[in-house]
Amino acid sequence: MSDNFRGFLEQKAGLSEEQFIEVTAHLRTATFKAGEMLLRQGDVCDHTFFVEEGLLRLYSISDNGREHILQFAPENWFVSDRSSAYFGEPSEYFIDAIEDTTAVFLDKEFLRKVSDASPLFRSSNDYLLHNHIRFLYKRVNMLISDTAEQRYLSFIELYPDLTLRVPQWMIASYLGITPESLSRVRKELARRNFRKD
Amino acid sequence: MATKQIERVIAPESKHFVGDGFLVYNMIPGSSGLTMQRMSPFIMLDYNAPYYFPPSDKPKGVGVHPHRGFETVTIAYKGKVEHHDSSGGGGVIEEGDVQWMTAASGVLHKEFHEKEWSKKGGEFQMVQLWVNLPAAHKMSKPGYQAITDAQMQRYKIDEAGSEVKVISGEYMGVKGAAKTFTPVHLYNATLKAGVSATFDLPATYNTALLVIEGAVTVNGTHKVPANNLGLFANGGETFTVEATTDSVVLILSGEPINEPIAAHGPFVMNTRQEIMEAFHDYNIGKFGYLED
Repeated sequence: MSDNFRGFLEQKAGLSEEQFIEVTAHLRTATFKAGEMLLRQGDVCDHTFFVEEGLLRLYSISDNGREHILQFAPENWFVSDRSSAYFGEPSEYFIDAIEDTTAVFLDKEFLRKVSDASPLFRSSNDYLLHNHIRFLYKRVNMLISDTAEQRYLSFIELYPDLTLRVPQWMIASYLGITPESLSRVRKELARRNFRKD
Repeated sequence: MATKQIERVIAPESKHFVGDGFLVYNMIPGSSGLTMQRMSPFIMLDYNAPYYFPPSDKPKGVGVHPHRGFETVTIAYKGKVEHHDSSGGGGVIEEGDVQWMTAASGVLHKEFHEKEWSKKGGEFQMVQLWVNLPAAHKMSKPGYQAITDAQMQRYKIDEAGSEVKVISGEYMGVKGAAKTFTPVHLYNATLKAGVSATFDLPATYNTALLVIEGAVTVNGTHKVPANNLGLFANGGETFTVEATTDSVVLILSGEPINEPIAAHGPFVMNTRQEIMEAFHDYNIGKFGYLED
């Protein structure tokens, strides 16, 4: 089993070697090429993906064909569509790989096994769920109230290295602004912060 | 003086594109064992072996990207590269020229095939080398040394054109044009078939040669074909390079910088904390702004 995922489970569940093997034995790990699709709109996906290496994104496509990125998932992040993974409904979203990516497929059986084996995991998982809800609140608030610059500043705080890993238009899409507006923000920040001497 | 022995001859592995304008073998740190620590101060070497780029109205290359903590050295053998940076600097690196860019505290730049050259297309051949900076200079002011072919001094071996062009450091009393922060000897040797040259470099310096054209025999024993890198052991000072056919050889030798290396993409610092600062500074515009 992959190093990042092992590290994550060690930290959040504190399993013995035996327990680790037991709860992860059935898990599948797969590698995707950049551009490859992990979830298509209309499919039911009963997995949550843990990104061992690489970068995934969760997005929707509006009627006019425009992509709207809900989440980026670099190393050690999870990504799933809960309406599909938890509620079993056809997904409204797409998940694809921005870079060549290795992902661990987590499912309900894994959650049940690891929760049975580890009280620590139950509380960690509870924390992660609330943390995720907090993240979503912040994101909703950002999208309805923040200026383009504030949105960009939150983005670089959350994803410090993604500005070098994804194209500008994807960052703009995630921030709900136009690529031109993102350009203006970065230009303005450089005007204030760049010292030639 | 003791002989500096070849430790290994390393054949290039797979090529990959950097942007869409440079098709390179990554020799350092991509070759097995050629880690940044082993090769310090040479922390990266990409070699674009001769490759034909068809005519293109839109110049191919690499878009805007940052660097911090080291120097990039571009050695143009064939083709022309145009570059621009966030300080408003820019220029064209012509055949035979060397651009020694000190990224230090940070630059944003882009590199493309020169516009007119791109329209005609042609054979392209270049080396890009990253030379690490010691901690004391990682946050120094960025700068350029645009060194033209004519500005570099040569040690003439014969009248037939065999010579050692000294890019930096010193060879047989001939001084290199580039200024460096730590001792770095960088030579481009042109050797006609059958001609040999002897080099004398400190035992402790990390030393290698890359065969750009032709094929050579080192110390009479080790054959190094084109596109291969000959890695020297850290012992002994003297070695000879004899050309089997007309050859061009890049020789690099530098005093190791014995400091921790934290590298992530275009940033090479001493600690992980400094890498995070580099990302932050880049993100908030401290490297400036450059249009794509």
